[in-house]
Amino acid sequence: MRAALLTVAGCLVAIGIAAGQAAKPAAAALPDWSGVWQMVGPTVFDRATVQPQNGRAGDPGVREFPPLTDEYEALYKKNIEKIKAGTFPDPISVCGVPHGFPRIMNVPDVYEFAVTPAATWVLAENGPGVLRVYTDGRSFPAAEELWGTYTGASVGHWEGDTLVFETRGLKESRDNDVIIDRTGLVLSDAATVTTRLRKTSDTMMEAQMVVEDVKALKAPWKVTKQYRKLPAGTWAWDYGCAENNRNPISNSGKTLTLGPNGKPIDKKTD
Amino acid sequence: MKLTKLIAGIAFIAGAAAPLAAHHSAAMFDDGKVVELNGTIKEVQWTNPHIWIQVVVDNNGQKTEWSVEGGSPNTLSRNGWKATTFKSGDPVVVRVNPMKDGTPGGQFIGAKWKETGKTIGHWE
Repeated sequence: MRAALLTVAGCLVAIGIAAGQAAKPAAAALPDWSGVWQMVGPTVFDRATVQPQNGRAGDPGVREFPPLTDEYEALYKKNIEKIKAGTFPDPISVCGVPHGFPRIMNVPDVYEFAVTPAATWVLAENGPGVLRVYTDGRSFPAAEELWGTYTGASVGHWEGDTLVFETRGLKESRDNDVIIDRTGLVLSDAATVTTRLRKTSDTMMEAQMVVEDVKALKAPWKVTKQYRKLPAGTWAWDYGCAENNRNPISNSGKTLTLGPNGKPIDKKTD
Repeated sequence: MKLTKLIAGIAFIAGAAAPLAAHHSAAMFDDGKVVELNGTIKEVQWTNPHIWIQVVVDNNGQKTEWSVEGGSPNTLSRNGWKATTFKSGDPVVVRVNPMKDGTPGGQFIGAKWKETGKTIGHWE
């Protein structure tokens, strides 16, 4: 009798897997990632390799050292020269453009992590910034059904209290319309990222990302970002970037500054 | 921080200051220079993606309006700021990283209210 029940249970599990349900954990088994969190440190993506040390993303001459292919190293150097010339605008400056992945894990302001059995949402206040990680047992769309988007498609599963997910379908940077950070780093549309997101203590979270990209990288590139929990009761707010954007981009890529009358105060606009 | 030059209400101070998180490149600001604006608050735009503080500096009768960019109201509010922190007409000294091209604009560092001596931001 017991053997028969186990067989039936096994069949139900198999049916569940086939229906895309088995990977979905019970809500009670999920970790508590509630609260408002803030990334630790500045917005250089790979702080382990940045030169000069403590260099800030966007400052002339600051760069990281991922294992770039020759083609993408040349592209990075070209972007670094643009930064020196003041003509490397941040694509999010136009407002409404997502940071994209993996940059969404590397932005200022605050984060919330909404965990449910079917999906986890990473909500970046500085945005628009939403990363959807599906954990309902689904597979990625077929390659011909996936197109490059800023944040791509993410499918994950739980390994204990760690959310492990892969991200594919990322948009290729065209004329730097999506970047990793303001040092000028970009990836190709071949990029995939495996992320392990977990709480390391009551007040700290960690995202370990391994970036692979057959066009841009000679080897996997591992980067870890950390997030600190802010005091209970902290608010995250709406971030309406277009509300009063006084920093539009000129035709030459220069970031302008508008006066209160809406006209540039820069001495040269192009 | 060392005061190196004083020009009728505007002081140029050597030294860098911590930048504010921004939604754009900060290439237009000279973060190696600090300008001290001795003036009056004209207007505050408590808006995303940045707040803007309009400061009028009176240089022997010649008034210049400076556009001072701050962080997002979201982050500032979590650090003790309010939409009413600065009020129109407040006499203040505001320190900024100025724009490189000499335009009367800059990135907010800190401020001191002249009447009360109260400060906000980075002020030492």
